[in-house]
Amino acid sequence: MFYKLVAKFLFLFLFFLVLSCSQKGDNSGGRSTITLVFKHGKIAGDPELFRQIIDRFEIENPGIKVKDEVLPASTDEQHQFYVLNLEGKSPEFDVLSMDVIWVPEFARARWIKDLSHLLTDVERSDFFPGPMQAVTYRGRVYAVPWYIDAGVLYYRKDLLRKYGFPPPKIWQELVTIAQSIIMREPDMYGFIWQGKQYEGLVCNVLEYFWSNGGDILEEEKLVLNSSENISALQFMRDLIVKYRVTPPLVITAIEEPTRHIFGNGKAVFMRNWPYALNIFEREGSAIKGKVGVSALPSFPGKESASTLGGWQLGINNNSRHPEEAERLIRFLTSPEVQKALALTVGYKPSRKSLYFDKDLIRVQPFLIQLHDIFMKVRSRPVTPYYMMITQVIQPEFSASLSGIKTPEEALNSAQRQIEHIFQVEK
Amino acid sequence: MNSREKGDKFIIPALIMLSCVTIYPVLYVFYLSLQRRLLIFDISRFVGFENYLFLFRDDRFWNALKNTAYFTVASVSLELFLGLSIAVLLNRPFRLRGLTRAVILVPWAIPTVVSARMWEWVYNTDFGILNFIIGSKINWLGSPFWAIHAAIFMDVWKTTPFVAILLMAGLQVIPHELYQAAKVDGAGSWTTFKRITLPLLKPVILVVLLFRTLDAFRVFDAVYVLTGGGPANTTETLSIYAYKVLFQTLQFGYGSTLSVVVFLCIGSISIFYIKLLSRGIK
Repeated sequence: MFYKLVAKFLFLFLFFLVLSCSQKGDNSGGRSTITLVFKHGKIAGDPELFRQIIDRFEIENPGIKVKDEVLPASTDEQHQFYVLNLEGKSPEFDVLSMDVIWVPEFARARWIKDLSHLLTDVERSDFFPGPMQAVTYRGRVYAVPWYIDAGVLYYRKDLLRKYGFPPPKIWQELVTIAQSIIMREPDMYGFIWQGKQYEGLVCNVLEYFWSNGGDILEEEKLVLNSSENISALQFMRDLIVKYRVTPPLVITAIEEPTRHIFGNGKAVFMRNWPYALNIFEREGSAIKGKVGVSALPSFPGKESASTLGGWQLGINNNSRHPEEAERLIRFLTSPEVQKALALTVGYKPSRKSLYFDKDLIRVQPFLIQLHDIFMKVRSRPVTPYYMMITQVIQPEFSASLSGIKTPEEALNSAQRQIEHIFQVEK
Repeated sequence: MNSREKGDKFIIPALIMLSCVTIYPVLYVFYLSLQRRLLIFDISRFVGFENYLFLFRDDRFWNALKNTAYFTVASVSLELFLGLSIAVLLNRPFRLRGLTRAVILVPWAIPTVVSARMWEWVYNTDFGILNFIIGSKINWLGSPFWAIHAAIFMDVWKTTPFVAILLMAGLQVIPHELYQAAKVDGAGSWTTFKRITLPLLKPVILVVLLFRTLDAFRVFDAVYVLTGGGPANTTETLSIYAYKVLFQTLQFGYGSTLSVVVFLCIGSISIFYIKLLSRGIK
């Protein structure tokens, strides 16, 4: 009786297995049409607009269908999805969009294809140097920059003009301006940024390190607890407790809450990514026409710096259709499509030439300013160790912002832990 | 073949099923935990108990263990206390009792991630209703002291109903005659509670404690969504730490070691409670 039951189950199981296999066969055998799967994060704005761009690719490339599949919203989850599927050698997707910090890791693990042949030297020079550096690992190019992001300083043009201040170039100037404006404007914060324990915190902190001449790695050498970094981190803590221009709420803030506060006219300065500009300039915005953007300030005698963000396109090493996938990447990173994306959803092109495009500038005049900022953008350490490094430094930065540790203690502790990590390959 | 042997045969399919879905993964994670395995560097070699020895030097592990223990003890004892009070109150007949019982279950019915997002807003410094009600400007989730308590409070809010319902079910099987007899003997309500309700409720209380302690010790989603482990890892629990090591930094060896530690802790807690439970029933 028991064995009969097992046999029946086995039979059913096999039956369905055969059924599902034969169905698959039917699909792929249909008139030599191949289907590319493109995985990416949610595209801002109306998804229909992006679909129209994909449709254009399908018309230009008969025989290729593109299925674009949206990943979960949080980048951590996207990273996890890629890791599990790429390590499992899944051929279920061909083109993937990657955060700028993942490329060396994925390249080191041989999860993505070498795309060096896709970009000639001339073409490479059309992309901003920051993202180009970020997609290059050991001299080879593993992805093509799709769109670019960078930390910028937002300021209230109207208020600065009212009280007679120019946009600050030095951090200390920002403090002075913020202090004097919030004294005279009630219910306003001076300067807000992102201080929650997450990847964005690292982006924020690095901008202070760099603009004080510090860094995390210098030629593969770990220099995290340098005096430049310690005093830069101390300055961030001082913004909250000593100068009192930054409210303690930044310790839990990510991009959107700060964007809301600034968007409601409640802050003089904000550090954020350029995406907020399009929102502030929308009809009905409380601060429409009152927002200025500039490069972030620096410490005296040092260079301003902003952290590179943005997304890059690469090809799954187990893709069954690498040539078609290359065509899709070429298409999506072409000047025409980048321009269309800039116009429809406000993504900032990774190609420099577009910042001098007449149509684009007419609609988004601030692009000219962004060009100069993007030219100086710096990438977080380009190393396959990055994901491990960031897991160590996030809580340490957070500890020193919330006052549990002094900046020196926090950076010393992080330095020790990362030195331990660097031994893993041995 | 006696009936006992026959019975043994019948559980073989279940055993095979169980070993496929639980025993094999557990053994595999243990095997991984003895390895240095780093996907991205193609490293995978046997290192014996090196990962376990590293636990002793890993401050972040001890911090996570401390947070987890604190979270578990604080939330479970609060939930038991509140749950018991609610159960006793709701066990008395009054108007709209059925409705009240249903309403009280609402927090339990909301998916954890949704309620964590909700509480994130409740705790918001500027727009949060909590600060609005008590008229303060406290940065609940940003302060190292408050963040863990905010997480505990959310967990208490969410799971007290579950505890209350289980205890209420336990209360209902206590025979009425006992209470009447106590009344006849002139016992006050506190004495009745101490001498009749509590002893008879003990098995249910132990089951509740078992469930809740296991859940609280493994807590991941609620805290991960609410704080991400911050500020400064003051809310990082063992599960969150293991998740980060496993899936964000891809150290499968050490991550598995952490998971084995969680598993061992939970195993010992369960055995402890089950021992207590079986003694109570005898």
